[in-house]
Amino acid sequence: MATLIPNALFRTHENEEVRFYDDIIKGKQVMVMMMYANCENFCPLATKRMVDLHHQALAHRIGKDLFMVNVSLKPEEDDPAALEAYAQMHHALLPGWTFLTGDRYDVDTLRYRFFSHDHIGLDEDPEQHAGLMKIINDPAGRWFHADVFASTRTVLEHIQWSDPPKPLAERLEENRKLQERIDRDRAVYGFRKIA
Amino acid sequence: MSQPEPGGESGGAQSAHEAGDAQSLRIDRRTLVKGTVIAGAAAVITSKKTAVFGQSAQSFGGSPSTPAPPALCATRPANSPATTPFVDDLPIPLPALPTLLSPFPTKAANTNAGEAARDAHQAWDAFPPLLFYHSIAAPSLHKFHRDLSPTYLWTFNGRYPGQTFLGHYGLPSLVRFRNSLPIDHPVPAIPEISIHMHNGHTPSESDGFAGDFFGAGLWKDNHYPNVYAGVDQFGGLGDPREAMRSFWYHDHRAEFTAPNNYLGLNGQFILYDSKDPGHELPLPGSLRLPAYYGVTDIPLQLHAILFCPTANGRTEAFIEAAVPAQVDKWIINGKIQPKLTVRRRKYRFRILNTGPAKEWNISLIGSDGLQKPMTVVAVDGNFVQNPFVVNNRTLNIPVATRYDIIIDFSQFAAGTSVYLREAQAQFVGVPTADPAPNLPIGNVAMRFDVVNRELWFPADTPSIPNQLTAMPDPIVPDNTFTWRFTRDGDPLRFRINGQVFDHNRVDHAVLKGSSEEWVLANDVIAGNWTHPVHIHFEEGRIVSRSHTNRDTDGNIVSVDNVPLLPEELGRRDVYRLPAQDRLVIRMRFRDFVGRYLIHCHQMNHEDDFMMVRWDIVETVEELTRKRREIDERRMLAGLPPQYGEDAKKGRLV
Repeated sequence: MATLIPNALFRTHENEEVRFYDDIIKGKQVMVMMMYANCENFCPLATKRMVDLHHQALAHRIGKDLFMVNVSLKPEEDDPAALEAYAQMHHALLPGWTFLTGDRYDVDTLRYRFFSHDHIGLDEDPEQHAGLMKIINDPAGRWFHADVFASTRTVLEHIQWSDPPKPLAERLEENRKLQERIDRDRAVYGFRKIA
Repeated sequence: MSQPEPGGESGGAQSAHEAGDAQSLRIDRRTLVKGTVIAGAAAVITSKKTAVFGQSAQSFGGSPSTPAPPALCATRPANSPATTPFVDDLPIPLPALPTLLSPFPTKAANTNAGEAARDAHQAWDAFPPLLFYHSIAAPSLHKFHRDLSPTYLWTFNGRYPGQTFLGHYGLPSLVRFRNSLPIDHPVPAIPEISIHMHNGHTPSESDGFAGDFFGAGLWKDNHYPNVYAGVDQFGGLGDPREAMRSFWYHDHRAEFTAPNNYLGLNGQFILYDSKDPGHELPLPGSLRLPAYYGVTDIPLQLHAILFCPTANGRTEAFIEAAVPAQVDKWIINGKIQPKLTVRRRKYRFRILNTGPAKEWNISLIGSDGLQKPMTVVAVDGNFVQNPFVVNNRTLNIPVATRYDIIIDFSQFAAGTSVYLREAQAQFVGVPTADPAPNLPIGNVAMRFDVVNRELWFPADTPSIPNQLTAMPDPIVPDNTFTWRFTRDGDPLRFRINGQVFDHNRVDHAVLKGSSEEWVLANDVIAGNWTHPVHIHFEEGRIVSRSHTNRDTDGNIVSVDNVPLLPEELGRRDVYRLPAQDRLVIRMRFRDFVGRYLIHCHQMNHEDDFMMVRWDIVETVEELTRKRREIDERRMLAGLPPQYGEDAKKGRLV
């Protein structure tokens, strides 16, 4: 997996130079999204959603074993100061959360590697960007994508899927607990409520 | 003879260099007489030599040798390596063998022994399973061509394609799918599986729901009642006019269906009954179609891969964030441009397109370069009422579609060859002359070599009957429901009725025993998106197809009725939906309850959340509750409601 992730130089919103794979991804579990500072459609909503998730459920993890990264889709417009202004405006200047800008070529490479539909018409047009969040667990070599606008439960579930795989005994125990919930739903409602 | 080890943790992964050689078909008189296939896999195997296929029996069991993980290609190759056409014989997937399972399967999930959590098997008491199979998902190596080094795949019981389940209506079966995939894996697939038998009339807990996946070390029993739809109405085994015959099983894990299938987690599943019994003897009720599995009734499982040779002496299947849509090697039964010796008589081919994204358009071309006839007898596994011939157009096969066709090779001279042509050319790489006039080598998917029929080879079957089946009674729907397939919203996504897939969220509910008219509308305005829409659990009847013409501003100019093709007149479960088309279909929802799916079967779209869950419910109370919840959620999300007031009160209309 490591070879698929570019290692180009980017600049953070704090004007630090970083290598994408070595400094941002390597050895970590990271949530990656694209945005741009002047975005007037869903980027602010997505960022707000991430801020909410941060405060509601992930505060104890972000900055320690889970990290968030936003990469600018319009690096020509977004210099580190613009990114910092965006983050400030959306109360997203939180520990463990980095905004990146860099070379157009490197940003496009990232977009192709992480978010491609493998369809030339879609991939070459930044307006067709799908707004998904990529969750990368580098040590385990697992990539997921999640819809940030899904229910909190579903987003957290996706993040949990990307967590380091648990030992078999623990997974068997979780499986047993899930069976108990299913059986309880059946007894109480007559059908499966928890999905 | 050794059988797959049940209950063992390590699984039965088999290095494929043995499988690759051993799967070449060797028909001789002795093996044919011993191995004549009557319905049911158990009858096939009569001796240590797995008779029909000349296969040595130690292909199961034995110590598994897990191949080293793949070294991924860092950049996309311009093409796959060159391969010489027609050097490999067409492999025949082995029939799956029934076995004894330990622990013995139970109605409720045996979570203490490692079974994935699930509802109790709802059809267990009515149709207790009689045949049991063990199918272990594990990595293995497979040689796609004589000239290519092995490829790392994820396969069932060490084989690609997976073994074919040969079953019979009235013989309920159970397959234990065990997950022995590696926990640490370097490919963008995921070692979590949920196996769907497409398109069985299967209770929901055994249908491979996309959210019911289980991880490495766990297993799950899928119970297949093997009954016709309409059990509640007709009793017994249901309505025989609802018979389906050619299915496939594949991984359906949400968001990872494309890579898991690209890597080989699929195979075929056949159900026989008295009309189509799996033999050619003149027994009453039999249509006497070509029927000896692997001999005159041959699966053709289509796949498409982009290969890259890697440093570790392998030729890996290239995979990136998405399964590549630009693939360039066409594969049938696990080989590139294979050849098959055929006798001058009728053969049945069960064509299955496993995608993950490629659509096929096939035709049969003779050595004179002219198109030759193929007779279609089944579409999506359902017999057509009247067989029809394809001889002046291509047969379009979207992802997941099956066609059973009959080719009569007696029309060709012995010593000549006939070619299966695919409209899109693959990359061959070895300069090769056109095998037939106006037929470039890149357009040939496989070659049939015609020989005279030996005396010991089964004699030809009688002509194909003019009518194969009667259609079930016309469906009178209680209600109409529209599924809009769009690419819109903010963010811009593929959506169904404005939503993306969330396995925790139900998006439509219907009452068991009711019927509905479903409108499938591809309302994507810009761009040329064709979606093969698949609906689980029940077959549908197409009522009409229309196409909307819009001007450059998107306003509707006209709506034209589109005449239905012969393959659209019967029962189907994969509906081709080009942009701006609208299909009206009718469905019933019978016999079982639970969570089912509707989705685009182009697997990259499916993984991009182009899927929605719909539930069949038992009681009006549950229907009312779920429909109210659906509309409340939609209102909160800013979407229009789906149900009128009556529908929410539980009235069906």
